[in-house]
Amino acid sequence: MTTTSTVAKVGPSPERPAETNVRRSPRRIDPTYYWMVVPVLALFAFFITLPALVGVFFSLTNYAGYGEWTFIGFANYVNIFKDPAILQSYIFTFVFALTTTVVVNIVALAIALGLNAKIKWRTGIRTVFFIPMVLSALVVSFVFNYLFSNTLPVLAERFGVTPLATSILANESLAWLAIVLVTVWQAAPGATIIYLAGLQSVPAEVYDAADLDGAGSFRQFLSLTLPLILGYLVINVILGFKGFLGTYEIIVGLTGGGPGMATQSVAMRIFSGFTGGDYSYQMANAVIYFLITLLISVIQLRLIQRRGVSL
Amino acid sequence: MLPSRRSLFRVAGLAGVAALIPLSGCAGNAGQQNGVTTLRFMQNKPEVVNYFDQVIKDFEALNPDIRVIQDFNEGNFVPGLVRNDPPDVVTRGFAKATADFVKKGIFADLSDLPAASTIDPEMQELISSWGQYNGNEVSALPFSLAAAGVIYNRDIFDANGVAVPTTWDEFVAACETFKTAGITPIYGTFKDSWTLAQGMFDYVSGGSLDSAEFFTRINAKGADISAEAAESFTTNFGPALPQMLQLVSYSQNGASSKNYADGNAAFAKGQAAMYLQGPWALSQLVSANKDIRVGTFPLPVTNNPEETKARVNVDMALSITRNTPNMAAARRFVGYLLEPSVVNTYNEKNAAFSPLKDAPPVTNPQISGLDESVRKARYYQGAGTYFPPSVPLHNYIQSFVYSKNGDQFLAALDDEWRRVAERTAV
Repeated sequence: MTTTSTVAKVGPSPERPAETNVRRSPRRIDPTYYWMVVPVLALFAFFITLPALVGVFFSLTNYAGYGEWTFIGFANYVNIFKDPAILQSYIFTFVFALTTTVVVNIVALAIALGLNAKIKWRTGIRTVFFIPMVLSALVVSFVFNYLFSNTLPVLAERFGVTPLATSILANESLAWLAIVLVTVWQAAPGATIIYLAGLQSVPAEVYDAADLDGAGSFRQFLSLTLPLILGYLVINVILGFKGFLGTYEIIVGLTGGGPGMATQSVAMRIFSGFTGGDYSYQMANAVIYFLITLLISVIQLRLIQRRGVSL
Repeated sequence: MLPSRRSLFRVAGLAGVAALIPLSGCAGNAGQQNGVTTLRFMQNKPEVVNYFDQVIKDFEALNPDIRVIQDFNEGNFVPGLVRNDPPDVVTRGFAKATADFVKKGIFADLSDLPAASTIDPEMQELISSWGQYNGNEVSALPFSLAAAGVIYNRDIFDANGVAVPTTWDEFVAACETFKTAGITPIYGTFKDSWTLAQGMFDYVSGGSLDSAEFFTRINAKGADISAEAAESFTTNFGPALPQMLQLVSYSQNGASSKNYADGNAAFAKGQAAMYLQGPWALSQLVSANKDIRVGTFPLPVTNNPEETKARVNVDMALSITRNTPNMAAARRFVGYLLEPSVVNTYNEKNAAFSPLKDAPPVTNPQISGLDESVRKARYYQGAGTYFPPSVPLHNYIQSFVYSKNGDQFLAALDDEWRRVAERTAV
């Protein structure tokens, strides 16, 4: 039972051969399956699980990343809870992830509805909308950085829009909106693809029936489309939220965590431990963050199972 | 004939195994071969690779038994330490991070190297003031000293009849003159927060209080520091903040959306009279406008010209890693690097100051204005360089410049300092 389910993730169409094997000799499992799983498992353990465990181990020490170290128990963890700068990065990250998830899904659903309709040049327009997805986030954010810092202020000055005359990136209370905007621009195409797949899975007959019943297009969307693609919405929300919690490169490219401390994400704080001689402290931060994301994932998985959707 | 499904699986499995094989490859180390010792030399300035290539060529010609490989990717240093395979000879900018390596005993003692006695003791003190391993070891020898002050456009100064200011009042008067003439006094690049730290913050704090002494005191105090303590940032930096904000107020509108590259381009085009940057900006200015005539003067922060000091940093300090198997060869190479012809030429070419006692006076007009300060040892290392990298000081400074809330700024520094002291002391 366990083997079949593990193999299911790797093999191209594993269900059928596995069943025939089981029927032929109930005990024997083709060793090829092990050859396929074990190397991947070994690579995963060596490159991901093992370093993670090493990180957990060092979070209990005062290791700077090099040199001597001693065990200090849970002192790093205690100190993190007393550090307002770390707390602020958590608040920023969660507010950012929540906002971005909401905006991305609204934008992506709107685009998907438009692209699913029978409009002219549909294929061409689809391609245009998907371009942001193939660009590197860092490149995108450097381009936007230039737009926000140079192009936009010059335009604003020419047209007399004084509030925009200095870069939005230099404004401590607004800089995070710029990050949301760029993240949405970059992440919406991915969500749109998933929504398009969902919309195409809705049979045309239900709309024909609704037309006969005299339902308007808004009513159709609310009572038919939305419930029928709800599974896709859940997937988008979960994948998106998880991704936005780890946000890093777009912030680095746009504000570098500034102005001041306004846009420091948790991932940035953790990464600063590598350069800052603060390795064990930020490792403790990483462990805490891992536990939080684990908790969120478990809750989300429960939600998915209740809705009968599978990722 | 199509291969059976099972054999396809087998191939896939083998491919997975093959992916593991390269992991066990590549090991072993060169070091010594046919009587030739190979030294790895890691230097921290990618822009001077060519100079050191030439130096290495000359050195190898004189020492056929040594081969030197240059590595200019400083990012490899810490991973090298972690792997226990660091380079043999290193140059690093000497500040807090390198001082931490010294404390951990990463570097060998160089005090008995003949070249060590040729170095200006005041400049050696810039390194040893950070703390010496075992209390007396010399873990690094200065190779290049960068001195920073106010870069000024000589043409704009001449056109407005402004002389180089030697007191704070003269400096403010000069700024006002430019302002009245419709010229931006100081070009600000606040978007890159490090430029605020190295300019405004370091210049004013370094000129008005003894940063080395301050950080020795606050370090000695350790974790039990409060904002009211005599050693705190609040107590010591408070008086300097209004002057910092005054400097900020002489910047152009929209300085908060300009970065370092913007600043270099704009200053080179003559869009401001002064620029709070170090010698590293000079080559950028000249490459943006080859006709620009610039000079540098130390920022006067008080009204006593005798007290005016320049901000310096040991831009390159030479060290040998303690566990190198090629100690003798490494010492010969370091000795060669500190020969006057090598070290003085380097500093002349790179708008920097030589650490040797009998170095010739600097004639480069771009930095000659700082020569007197350096020769009389009227200098300080920037306060910003004393901070552990885990304190996001630059962000705090930027925050202070935008909010103008000095109390909050200093309280945050006191807090951060205490927290780092707490967790590194345990």
